[in-house]
Amino acid sequence: MLVFGIPDPQIWIGYLLALGFTLACIVYGFMNWNRGGANDGS
Amino acid sequence: MAVDTLLMTVLVLIYLGATLVIGYIGYKQTKNTEDYLVAGRNSHPFVIALSYGATFISTSAIIGFGGAAANLGMGVIWLTVLNIGVGILLAFVLFGKKTREIGQRVKAVTFPDLMCKIYKSPLLQYISGFIIVISMPLYTAAILIGGARFIEPTLNLPYTSALLIFAVITALYVVFGGIIAVMYTDAFQGTIMLIGMTLLLVLTYLAIGGVTAGNTALTNMADLVPKALASQGMTGWTSVPELGSPIWFTLVTTIVLGVGIGVLAQPQLVVRFMTAKDNRSLNRAVLVGGPFILMMTGVAFTVGALTNVYFYQHSGQIAIDAAGGNVDAVMPLFINLAMPDIFVVIFMLTLLSAAMSTLSALYHAMGTALTVDLWGRGRECALSLRSNQYGIILMMIVSTLLAFVLPISIIARATAMFMGLCAAAFLPAFAVGVYAKVPSTRAAIASMLSGAVTWFFWTAFVHTAEAKPLGLCQYIFGKPVLLPLPWSVIDPLVIALPVSFVVMCVLQWQAGKHPAPGTVAA
Repeated sequence: MLVFGIPDPQIWIGYLLALGFTLACIVYGFMNWNRGGANDGS
Repeated sequence: MAVDTLLMTVLVLIYLGATLVIGYIGYKQTKNTEDYLVAGRNSHPFVIALSYGATFISTSAIIGFGGAAANLGMGVIWLTVLNIGVGILLAFVLFGKKTREIGQRVKAVTFPDLMCKIYKSPLLQYISGFIIVISMPLYTAAILIGGARFIEPTLNLPYTSALLIFAVITALYVVFGGIIAVMYTDAFQGTIMLIGMTLLLVLTYLAIGGVTAGNTALTNMADLVPKALASQGMTGWTSVPELGSPIWFTLVTTIVLGVGIGVLAQPQLVVRFMTAKDNRSLNRAVLVGGPFILMMTGVAFTVGALTNVYFYQHSGQIAIDAAGGNVDAVMPLFINLAMPDIFVVIFMLTLLSAAMSTLSALYHAMGTALTVDLWGRGRECALSLRSNQYGIILMMIVSTLLAFVLPISIIARATAMFMGLCAAAFLPAFAVGVYAKVPSTRAAIASMLSGAVTWFFWTAFVHTAEAKPLGLCQYIFGKPVLLPLPWSVIDPLVIALPVSFVVMCVLQWQAGKHPAPGTVAA
């Protein structure tokens, strides 16, 4: 199966994971935007 | 090269002027040694994220590993997976917060100082300071080479002058402004890098006919893989090398694991955590850091592989042949030939930014390691601004001299070597140190030494890529390496890290069973 012209799943899965981790960073940052401040006790 | 020299000169001067002005702002905000060393522990999340990312990503990532992707193909994208998953998510969430909390509590100002205070062992500070001062110049020299290699043809300067100018201008704001100047300029440089790499991705795909067409063209070039590479397991630029082949081991152990894991215990990055005011700053930094790294390494590795399509369409050669066999020359050549003139200027600034941001952090980390952790340890001068400035200048000179003697195609390898050594020597002791209630000093010392010694042994006597040019094994044993394939292509990190990890775990477990008299939880 060709995905954007790439035949090897080991390559396009790598791209998918890179994008997935990036998304995880964004979600983590938003979810914890106000947690861990000097005055919130956490 | 067709780029208007006047335009190039003006933009470079504006960039350097802006960098120096921002460095000056950092200098004005530096009131005491804590400001100089850990930015007063009050950095803004945006500055932390971009500084961490820009320090993390150097010319090595763009020029060296972009060139490696041109040679080995898109499989290098797995390094991006680790760069984001390990280098950002794991580093900030698991290690960053604990490092910040402990660093603030014990008032640590450098990575070796942190290790010393966690383990209450000056010896650990000496060992880690020594490893930094010995190994970091290698990485610094690789970055200097990467920057100078691009400046040389672009500004039409002799290589020696390019390298010297580059080294001195960067040192200028580090010496005077300390880490505040370093981090502020990093943030500015990180922004330029983001713009440059985004444009690079878009313009590359436009130059080769679009995403699917470009990737398909690269897939169809599989039969052009040089025989020397094909015989070692390379199957094409859009497929992973044959499992277990020498190229597969190089890709997976040296490039993906060596650099991907090595990032976790790099002293110049660990210090960034200690500049944060609170954990909220680190949480926010993750949001910026992930996308930043994707746009740096993800783009560099993708474009690196795709340069083969461009060169084949325009000269009938694959990238490495077009670059005369020099991996480090592929990306600069591609930019100069394939990109519009104005982008050559933008990319020049992107590379300058990438190199200067990492260089400045390394100068700071090496200089302070020399002053705070080795020469001045236990003495008043350790926390003197003037002494730290002298330390930075001295280490700058050492790494510049080293840059003149390193061989070609060294950028990616020197980076992987430095990161591998950092991980093998520091990672287990660092991880246990920030998490264990009663970390064992004996375990940490044994782990650090066993990791460093194993790494050195494997590098000098087994791993062909380093052992052969080094010649030590040939000199002593009369043969280039001691072990046959596949051992000789397995990166030293893959052997040394498990050794230091096992040593750390066993001795830490023993210490837990038989605690020393008077030992209390940290």
